[in-house]
Amino acid sequence: MLITKRFSYFAKVILTAIASTILIFFAQSALAQGETQIALFLFIATAAIIITYLTRVSIPLKFFLPGMLFLFAFVLGPVIYTISMSTFQYQTGNYISKPQSIERLLELGVISDENAPSFDVVLGKTSIGKLAILASNSQIKRYFLSTKDEITDLAPSELTLDENGVAQSAPNFTVLNGADRSKLDKEIASTRFKYQGDFFIKLEGLSAGLINQQSLFYDSASDTFKNKLTGATYKDNGRGNYANIDNPSEILQPGWRSPIWFDHYKNLVTDPTIRKPLFKVFVWTFTFAFLTVLTQFALGLLVALTLNKPFFGRRFYRSIFILPYAMPSIMSILIWGGMFDTEFGAINNLFGTNIAWFQNATFARAAVIVVNLWLGFPYFYLVTSGALQAIPSELAEAAAIDGAKPRQIFSRVTLPLLLQIVSPLLVASFAFNFNNFNLIYLLTGGGPTNLLDGEIAGATDILISYTYKIAFGTNIQNLGLASAISVIIFLIVASISLYGIRRSKVLDSFK
Amino acid sequence: MRNWLRTTLWRHVIGLLVTFFAIFPLYLVILSAFSSSGSLEVTSFIPSELSIKNFKVLFTSPTIPYLVWMKNTLVISGLVAILSVIIGASSAFAFSRLRFKGKKMGLQLLLLVQMFPAILALSAVYVIMERVYTFAPKFGLGTQPGLLLVYLGGAMGVNIWLLKGFVDSIPVELDEAAKVDGASEMQTYWQIFIPLAAPVLAVVALLSFIGTFNEFILARLFLVDMNSRTIAVGLQGFIGGQYSQNWGPFAAGSLIASIPIVIIFLSLQKYIISGLTAGSVKG
Repeated sequence: MLITKRFSYFAKVILTAIASTILIFFAQSALAQGETQIALFLFIATAAIIITYLTRVSIPLKFFLPGMLFLFAFVLGPVIYTISMSTFQYQTGNYISKPQSIERLLELGVISDENAPSFDVVLGKTSIGKLAILASNSQIKRYFLSTKDEITDLAPSELTLDENGVAQSAPNFTVLNGADRSKLDKEIASTRFKYQGDFFIKLEGLSAGLINQQSLFYDSASDTFKNKLTGATYKDNGRGNYANIDNPSEILQPGWRSPIWFDHYKNLVTDPTIRKPLFKVFVWTFTFAFLTVLTQFALGLLVALTLNKPFFGRRFYRSIFILPYAMPSIMSILIWGGMFDTEFGAINNLFGTNIAWFQNATFARAAVIVVNLWLGFPYFYLVTSGALQAIPSELAEAAAIDGAKPRQIFSRVTLPLLLQIVSPLLVASFAFNFNNFNLIYLLTGGGPTNLLDGEIAGATDILISYTYKIAFGTNIQNLGLASAISVIIFLIVASISLYGIRRSKVLDSFK
Repeated sequence: MRNWLRTTLWRHVIGLLVTFFAIFPLYLVILSAFSSSGSLEVTSFIPSELSIKNFKVLFTSPTIPYLVWMKNTLVISGLVAILSVIIGASSAFAFSRLRFKGKKMGLQLLLLVQMFPAILALSAVYVIMERVYTFAPKFGLGTQPGLLLVYLGGAMGVNIWLLKGFVDSIPVELDEAAKVDGASEMQTYWQIFIPLAAPVLAVVALLSFIGTFNEFILARLFLVDMNSRTIAVGLQGFIGGQYSQNWGPFAAGSLIASIPIVIIFLSLQKYIISGLTAGSVKG
């Protein structure tokens, strides 16, 4: 016993040490990259691990900590982050931080001098290892070597020229090979090679250099940008961009993610270009979830009633009806997608129709409901047949003695009791289908979409698939707005679920 | 005879109709998988041939790394299943057996978390993992280890909840006896509880395997590279809305991928159904 105790203590210390070392390592790299929030989390996690496992503060915590850390890092953390993102102007063009944006604007705020000559360049390094270009212009017979700090003119006699008069090699200059070039990719793209005065050479591709000069200048005291050539002044517009003070619609790109507080939430209600499609999607989401639960429950109940009494073949039916539920739903949805194909699909083939299922809003919606019925009716068959057995048969017998017909017994006695038992499950299923992203995304992709007005919301889009389109769409990715809608969905789903939990009395069982 | 008609015939009528509805897509996939034409169009619903051409295409075509997808799926789902149960079991033990302050609040929070659809925080997960990529490129966005971490976090809520439900049904007398004999909580956990709970842990691991196998959206967002994809993402990208092309190999691929899941599901039916009434819905 003593040996195992010593051994387990030893193992505990070693494991704690390994875990903390790994976490500290990542925390430091995170800090080095400026990801302070992530670094902070990792440091706190490390401290928590060390305190929990090497002292006797709390025994339950020893059991909880690993699960808690994962829950916090990948569930609660992202939830908090979603809420914070929803208060930011956070979209394509406003993706980076403000200092990064200023840096980019200065980098991009150059203008090429159209009157100046352009040069053929060869990339290489100087004898002390500095990135350099060997530039040639055979028309004006000018050759020079330039780094970001200095420019050295060269005479053609010092150089090896090719048939076009482009210098290929020079003394104290080593040409970069392909591998080195791709390694230095970023440095090459951002380096400004020295030319005369304010002017510098920027590479266009890998073999041409253009003469540029800085046109945009930043004044940190007043937090404004000035364009030296046009004289325009750009000021922080409070929405993540520098805008021309004389013409506020002219903004500098890229902007940054800037706090706009509750503007996204306000826009959901006041901006008609957001409100209209959102409302349409909102209504369909509720309709879809409601119809799904209704049809799945109705068919499930019908099947359960059918198979409620023993008869020859019951086991056969039972095993068949479970199959749709046992199939991986992703595969089933994709298979159904093929069956609804207009030209070759089995559905049109079977019924001799020629319906373009996914091109017409009504048909697409019907298809979505039918496929979801197939996916979900076995679930309700299983739970209602369980519930039917839980209803005491004395109740039905008593009703029969009182002269009730079978139909009356069902609608007045069995069904109300059954509904009481399964209602928490109906609510849970409603909440699940409210966010049934896979079905919509894989079957119709939210379509059909009216492409003419450029609206991305399709006829079968539910809130979550619409949010996905907003956040990860092809044109503009608006993470801020998507987060705001996510928060709204969460509030809806949480209140539906809480209502369901209250009904199921799960909470009473907590001691 | 009239009695039979009245009490049983209608059951067969409904039974056969629903059977047709339930089995039609499955039948169609098997039919397409074994047809030699490999086309979406079904010329006859009665099978006339048994060709393995589609399977050959699936396994040999250089554009469809099906076996790699299969391996990825098994590795990712398998690791999530095992690791999430290892991590989740200790929390479930604490919730089920230990007394401590804040237990009720913890359970309520867990209940809320396990219902929270992970997909809602998708953009946040995306941005966070994008940032992780800047300092730990092996664990960030676009990597399988990164996806694994996100899955583990996401599985935690549901798994602890499910495990707690199952664990509650294991009699407490044994661990109480151990306590009386002077065992610490840790000893009770490792030497009494874990051996007792092993079958239950295996069931939850398999359920979480099915859950991960069925996960699509995170996998799709994370696994861009063709050779890092899972079956779900791979087959979806492969069929890509163009059902008429590639239908035969797709049918063969989804048939192979579905069989193990269906087998696991059917053998775990009992547990899944008891889990169903606890309010969990399969993905």
